[in-house]
Amino acid sequence: MTTSTNLPGHPQVPNLSEVPGSILGRDSAVTKVLLRRSAAARRARYSTIKIWVGAICAGLVVVPVALAQLLPLPDPIIGQLSESSLPPFSAGHLFGTDPNGRDLLSRVLHGGQTSLVIGVLAIFVSGLVGIVAGAAAGYFGGWVDTIVSRLLEAQMSLPLLLMLLLVVALFGPSIPVITLVIAFAQWPEPARITRALVLVEREKPYVAAARVLGLHRISIITRHLIPNILQQVLVVVLLLLAQAVLLESALSFLGAGVQRPYPTWGGIISDGRELFVTGKWWLVTIPGIVIALLVVGVNLVGDGLRDRVRRAKGDQ
Amino acid sequence: MLTYVLKRIGQTVLTAFLATATVFVLLRMAPGDPAANYAPPNPTSEQLAAIREQFGLDRSIPVQFVTFLQHLFQGDVGTSFFFKRPALEVVMERLPYTITLAVAAIVVTAVVAIPLGVWMARRADTAKELGSNIATIAGQSMPDFWIGFVLLILFAVQLGWFEPAGFTSASSIVLPTVTIAILQVALISRLVRREMVVNLASPYLTVARSRGISERALTWRYAFGNSAIPVVTALGTRFAAMLNGVVIVEVVFKWPGVGELVVNALKQRDFPLIQATVLVTVVLALVVQLLVDLLYPLMDPRVRLGEASS
Repeated sequence: MTTSTNLPGHPQVPNLSEVPGSILGRDSAVTKVLLRRSAAARRARYSTIKIWVGAICAGLVVVPVALAQLLPLPDPIIGQLSESSLPPFSAGHLFGTDPNGRDLLSRVLHGGQTSLVIGVLAIFVSGLVGIVAGAAAGYFGGWVDTIVSRLLEAQMSLPLLLMLLLVVALFGPSIPVITLVIAFAQWPEPARITRALVLVEREKPYVAAARVLGLHRISIITRHLIPNILQQVLVVVLLLLAQAVLLESALSFLGAGVQRPYPTWGGIISDGRELFVTGKWWLVTIPGIVIALLVVGVNLVGDGLRDRVRRAKGDQ
Repeated sequence: MLTYVLKRIGQTVLTAFLATATVFVLLRMAPGDPAANYAPPNPTSEQLAAIREQFGLDRSIPVQFVTFLQHLFQGDVGTSFFFKRPALEVVMERLPYTITLAVAAIVVTAVVAIPLGVWMARRADTAKELGSNIATIAGQSMPDFWIGFVLLILFAVQLGWFEPAGFTSASSIVLPTVTIAILQVALISRLVRREMVVNLASPYLTVARSRGISERALTWRYAFGNSAIPVVTALGTRFAAMLNGVVIVEVVFKWPGVGELVVNALKQRDFPLIQATVLVTVVLALVVQLLVDLLYPLMDPRVRLGEASS
């Protein structure tokens, strides 16, 4: 923020440029233009641009998906065979239709509800588990830390996708199972960052003060440590939403998604894959663009927020 | 040094054992009778029972597991239900394809991502860099199977430059490699940028610059030299993960690698084949990780010296 030397409505403040002998009497070499071009100002501006562009991209997907029931759309499951395989921009079918005559826009929006619900629930679970496990490992150290760290390492060396496919085959491809499977795949990331942040934070004087005041360890963690790191962890969790949506679509693609006829994004692409050879490119391309738009949006918002949080915390 | 390697090999064996054991138990808990997949149409219950006995599936899971371990120590991973051949042999036939694809993808990734990341770091927070920054975010935001399909539609179906699927000629590797590399370049170049920005702003670089060292040497020999360890670690981890099966890309392009093999084996409930794949790929991935860790002393004198003094 540049300060004005002439504040309207405050006549008692002397205009410094008119004070004789003041160094402010002459124009500063640092002009407003230079300030605006400075690295710090640019960085702040670019993170704002990222957040806005990201919010618009994500909003373009999330708002119609959330309103899918209210919009005048054809049924996503029952199609009209007289209108099969219409290309995009046909009358009444903005995204075209599939060989069963089902409206692709309607399928993509309804499918998005399933995909988004799974994604949001999954990051809620993985974020919660990750923060609890990471905070415990970081604060208590010792055997708690050993167990959590070993679990994190073990999970890294497992063929994760294969395990997830197996678990879905075992318990059936219902929404709770897929949600938990994705949460299981994702908990290491918030756990690792929480642990790292807690390790730094627990050495700070306010924690020692809380300890001296006789606070219980649990309340030191929940009331003092976690509020101080939550912002940074939540940005990571938000970025996981992007990963969750991608993972859900990958599972659907491999046949371990919510079952037909309920559309999900991965499932729609998977259904269309045998058909693009015959020239029906839109059945694959359009749902993918929708996924990419949402994930780009979430990633941009997360990245922009991360830049901001880091700057507020004073590192980098 | 030797104790370190031995310890790591011990961990590798333990992890591979745990992974295989988990898969072993999960497979047998999963619903669906494998015998039904390998019986003649409309099988009688006697026929099914005979097949189950032939596969050893009629015994309890603990007994099956002990038998599996006994055979494992004799170097026998079992016979594939589907191929009627030793499962290990089937996996080993497919492995070269996956390794080729993984090597091609990681080479392309390194060649593109490192210069891109260095470029982004040197022009950090300029308008041009914002563009490539957003592009790399977009690169890691697209589902990989979707990128594969779009490339197929464009270059195989519309333009007819490449064969649409399978491994038919040397050019078949181009589209799968590009598909994998798009995501990996996005991830690795951002890592390179992050590391380089820190090192480019560090005091030792200012000192070196004041001594008149050229910008090129400052960037590559000083800053990149100190960013190399995390970058190589990430490349190694990515490569190891690819060996675990670039499952999705292999399925999209019908690439005859282990990823494609294991997805089909899962559909056919071919238990020994799945176990063999998990065992081989996990061991291979862990060995790659170990080799990457052993590279550190070569790359960073601090690691070397730290070891000498201890």
